[in-house]
Amino acid sequence: MNMKQIFSCAALCAILAFGSTVLIAQEVYDPMRPNVNPLAPATANPNIDGPTAELDPELGNLPIGPGAENTYYQCIACHSTAIIRQQRLTDARWDYLWKWMVEDQGMFEPDDEEKDVILTYLKTHFSSER
Amino acid sequence: MTDQTSTDNVIDTDTVDEPKRRAFLKTTGLTALGAYAGMSIPFGDNLIALAQGMSEEDIMGGKNGLILMNDRPLNAETPAHLLDDDVTPYEHFFVRNNGLVPDTALDMDAEGWILTIDGEVDTPLELTLADLKEKFEVVTKRLVIECGGNGRAYFNPGASGNQWTTGAVGCADWTGVRLSDVLNAAGIKDSAVYTAHYSKDPHLSGDPDKDTISRGVPIAKAMAEGGMIAWEMNGEPIPAVHGFPLRIINPGYPGSTSQKYLTRIWIRDQVHDGAKMTGYSYRLPAYPVAPGTEVPEEDMIIMTEMPVKSLITYPQSGTETPTGEATEVRGHAWAGSGDIAAVDVSIDFGQTWISATLEPAKNKFAWQRFRADVTLPEAGYYEVWARATDMNGVAQPPVVPGWNPRGYGNNMQHRIAMIAT
Repeated sequence: MNMKQIFSCAALCAILAFGSTVLIAQEVYDPMRPNVNPLAPATANPNIDGPTAELDPELGNLPIGPGAENTYYQCIACHSTAIIRQQRLTDARWDYLWKWMVEDQGMFEPDDEEKDVILTYLKTHFSSER
Repeated sequence: MTDQTSTDNVIDTDTVDEPKRRAFLKTTGLTALGAYAGMSIPFGDNLIALAQGMSEEDIMGGKNGLILMNDRPLNAETPAHLLDDDVTPYEHFFVRNNGLVPDTALDMDAEGWILTIDGEVDTPLELTLADLKEKFEVVTKRLVIECGGNGRAYFNPGASGNQWTTGAVGCADWTGVRLSDVLNAAGIKDSAVYTAHYSKDPHLSGDPDKDTISRGVPIAKAMAEGGMIAWEMNGEPIPAVHGFPLRIINPGYPGSTSQKYLTRIWIRDQVHDGAKMTGYSYRLPAYPVAPGTEVPEEDMIIMTEMPVKSLITYPQSGTETPTGEATEVRGHAWAGSGDIAAVDVSIDFGQTWISATLEPAKNKFAWQRFRADVTLPEAGYYEVWARATDMNGVAQPPVVPGWNPRGYGNNMQHRIAMIAT
């Protein structure tokens, strides 16, 4: 086994160790899982099962669809896709977040056409409205 | 949760045989992190070798069993049953970073670190770590730190941000100096209104002129019991992801007021308007709103005291227990207002309640241990619910309290499943 293979194995093992905690959490019934919470209003499960659309591993596991690539490259300049994939927001909140990211967080603002593609993608896949 | 791309990046770091680099890295970052955390990092040697191309996940090597919510910035929460210790160990302490972990923290390098106290003070101070240790009484306090957005996952419509369930909370022993002692040494002027905290963590955009976060608290809170400037967590230098070398702690307030990598406390003559003080960040509507309401920005007010809360940490949800035999259920309770008056548990969905025994807090703003024996009368599915009540008679609600646009302050009762066999 050369050095590269050893590191590759170590990295994979580390990832499996991290991943296994999620598997355990899913095996044990937990009334506090958002989607089985009998007292909370019916909620789109925010992050455990993930979106139903097919995911693109090349694009940080964003759901495949028009605008996925534009969204990926716009967003990962600052943060990973993990925070996007957790969201279930109203359209108004997505519009606000865009403004906040541009005005407060220094996000590069693309032209209107590109902005529309990205916001439509976000509102399609990470919505509390649809 | 872990994509292949980052794995590739890690594997492709091909500089490991270079002795100079290796020697350099051995004295920095991960070696130090592991040593200070007092535990082994799995595959630690390899992680050292990979340190130069280190991802946020690698930095998390000493954490055990946490659920990673986000890798840039680094955010991870702790399952309830891993929070059973009276003092949360490093490996189980949640991580909420707003920006990147500074290199000085990864290297555990506090050389030349200065804390500035200025603004509405008689004598501005520039303090080294040695100054803090020599000039002020050193104290150790057991303090809860909880993210203001803990419980956000249960809001509907969803609220933006990390979808924390119950695990963005921990209670550690923090060693440092009282915040009030340091502020008194500087001499707070009558014109002082608010603190403004500054730190060294790089902004996600990479813009060096942008503050990742700069929050503060009212002067009265900063001068009150509990506030600290800390350099140790559980008897070791504060680990990299928790704010090495220095953090402020304002227990009872949202965790974001306990800024990591602290470099400056500016005393202001107005309410602080720094990064994540304004807009919708850490703010609640000034009046009750229906779920999904678009609340105008000017009607959002700063969140201060965290609500009363409890967590069942034993047994783990889904545990089987013998029918008709007493089983201990235990956990912790805490409140932003200070001590807890009572904790009750229910095994019948809140129809009847059983008083738990409640241990006193080690100090104000430490969480308090509760214990109750429950006997499940017949075979089948039960839920155990816990409800804490604070000294003002305010108790946890069974449902998600007041919806708000950013999903703060959810203190609904915690529940676990128990199966009687």
